[in-house]
Amino acid sequence: MIKETAKHIEERFSQVGITIPTSEIESRLEKLVNEFKVPAEEAHRSVVNYFLKEYNIPRGDFFTQQGEAPTVKVSDITTEGKWINISAKVAQLWDNSHESIDQVGLIGDETGIIKFNKWAKAELPPLEEGKSYQFKNVVTDRFQERFQINFNRTSQIEEIQEDIEVSAQQSEAPTVKVSDITTEGKWINISAKVAQLWDNSHESIDQVGLIGDETGIIKFNKWAKAELPPLEEGKSYQFKNVVTDSYQERFQINFNKTSLIEEIQEDIEIGTQEVEFSGVMVDIQAGSGLIKRCPECNRALIKGVCGEHGKVEGTYDLRIKAVIDDGVSVQDALVNREVTEQLTSITLDDAKQMATKELDQEVVLVKIKEGLLGRYYSIKGPKLDRYILVENVSRLPPMEAGQLDALLAELEA
Amino acid sequence: MASQYSREVAHRVFAQEFRDSDLSFKDSNDQYSPQYLLTPTGAKINRMFIVGTLTEKEDIGTDAEYWRARVVDPTGAFIIYAGQYQPEAARAIAEVEAPAYIAIVGKPSTFQTEDGNVLTSVRPESVHVVDEATRERWVAETAQRTIERMNNLNSNDPDATKAREHYNTDVSVYKQMLIDALKEQP
Repeated sequence: MIKETAKHIEERFSQVGITIPTSEIESRLEKLVNEFKVPAEEAHRSVVNYFLKEYNIPRGDFFTQQGEAPTVKVSDITTEGKWINISAKVAQLWDNSHESIDQVGLIGDETGIIKFNKWAKAELPPLEEGKSYQFKNVVTDRFQERFQINFNRTSQIEEIQEDIEVSAQQSEAPTVKVSDITTEGKWINISAKVAQLWDNSHESIDQVGLIGDETGIIKFNKWAKAELPPLEEGKSYQFKNVVTDSYQERFQINFNKTSLIEEIQEDIEIGTQEVEFSGVMVDIQAGSGLIKRCPECNRALIKGVCGEHGKVEGTYDLRIKAVIDDGVSVQDALVNREVTEQLTSITLDDAKQMATKELDQEVVLVKIKEGLLGRYYSIKGPKLDRYILVENVSRLPPMEAGQLDALLAELEA
Repeated sequence: MASQYSREVAHRVFAQEFRDSDLSFKDSNDQYSPQYLLTPTGAKINRMFIVGTLTEKEDIGTDAEYWRARVVDPTGAFIIYAGQYQPEAARAIAEVEAPAYIAIVGKPSTFQTEDGNVLTSVRPESVHVVDEATRERWVAETAQRTIERMNNLNSNDPDATKAREHYNTDVSVYKQMLIDALKEQP
C-alpha cells in the first residue's frame, strides 16, 4: 500500500521534472501511517504537500499539469473529488450567500443541470446567465446529498460560441410523505396541504408554517430569497426540490431558490397520529385560563394586543397550556375550551362572571391551577409540533390493577 | 428565534434516597447552567415531583414570611423551604392545615454544615393540596422509577456511572426501602 502510494507520488513529481528518491517518500509515508496513525489519504496529501514546499513548486502548477482532466457531461458526474472539463450553459445565477463565494448557481447541458460554486479566491472571470462556457479543471463535490462543481484557482473558464441546449431535468428528487422525513439534508418532492401559516419572525423568511399530508404535519420555511409564489392556508401544493432540515431537534422542510411550487387540484387530507400520554400536570403556562382572541385572526391577544392586527376588541375564550410529566419525559398539551370546560367544570360563562366579579381575569387561572396541578391525567389527541391537542382527558386511578404486586414481585425476585 | 430550551423533567425519588444524596454539580461553568443533584440510584435532578403528607409547618422568617415544612412519604421526610421568591408556594403552605396530602413541584437544594454533612431540601415552584388517590399513585410510580434506575445502575449511562462511583451504591438498601414502602400501602 505504502509502496504503491510512494511510487505514484514519485511519478507525479517526475512529470514536473523533479526526482525524489522512492525511499525518502516511503519513509515519510510510513512514519505518518504507522507511527502517527494518519489515514492513508491524509498521509498521501501531507507528503505531497511536504515535497511541494521542499522543491518550491506552486501548488497550482503541480495540480493543473496533472494530465488532462476528462471531458464529461453533467449526467456523468457521479462521484465527488474528480477533476473534470465540462462545457455548459449558465442556467441560473443565485445571490451568493457567503463572501467566500464569488458566484453560485446552476449550469447545464443536454444531459442535466448541476449546481456550481465559484470561489472568490479563484479570481475567475464573471459568468453571465444564458451564456455557454468551457470549464476546465473544475472539481466535482457533494453538498447536502447532491453533486455540484467547484471552480477554484486552478480552473479555467472560456466563453464559447456554441449555444448549449440545457435539459430542464435536474436529477429528480424522490417523492416522499411527511412521515418519511427522518434525516436532514435530503432533497425531496412532496405533495402537501398548507395547514397553518405563522407570523414570520425574520425578514429572511417569506412564509413559515405547517404543511401536512395523510401521514403527518411538518414545519416549513420559505426563504424570502427563494422568490416563490405565496402559499395560502388550506390549499394543496406540489413542492419540488425542497430540502429537509432539522431545527431544535425537529425536522422541517426548507423551500429555496431551486424549489418549485405548484398548486394542485387534489385536496390533500391531513392526517395526524393520535398520541396518548399519562403523567402529572406539573405546570400550567401563561396564556391559559380566560383569554381574549383577535376577532380577525383568532390569535390569542397579549395585553389586548394582537401580534398581527394591533389593539383590537377581543373575544373571550377558555384554554389551558399544560405541561404533563411522567418522571421520564415532558409533554406539552393544549386544551381547548370544550375540553377545558369539561375538565374544570368551569364554563366560559362562569369564567367571565368570575373575572367580572373580581375585576381580574387571573382569578380563573388561579382556580384552574388549584384544581388541576399535581394530579395525574391521561391525555389523548393529535400531535402538532410539540403539543398534543387534547381531545380526551381523564384522571388516572390511584394505581393500575396489580401494579403493587408486580412491583413487589420484581423487588423480591 | 426561540432558544434551545427544553424543560427539565420532574424526577420521582423517595425521601430516603433524596436525603442520602450529596453530589450537586453543573454541566458547564456558565452561570445560567442548571444545577443538578445526583442521587444514589442515578437520578440527575434539577426538578422533582413529590406527593406526601404535610406534617409540620412553621414560619421561620424574621421580616418576611419564610416557611419551613415537613412532607413525609413512606420512607422519610422532605424538608421544604418557601419564601418571598416562591410566592405562590409560600401562600399555599400558609393556607393549608397540617396534616394534609400535598403535591409539590420544586427544585432540589443542598446545604453543607460546618462538620461537612450535606443537607437536602426542596424549593417549591408550586404546592397543591391533593387527595389520597394521588398520593397512592405517586408512591407506586416513584417505586417504579426507582426500580428502573436501579436496573440501569450497572449500565454505562453517564449518570449511573457517576452515581456508582460517588456513592458506591448498595442497591439492597434501596430494594428494602421500596419493599417496605409498598407493603405499607393498603
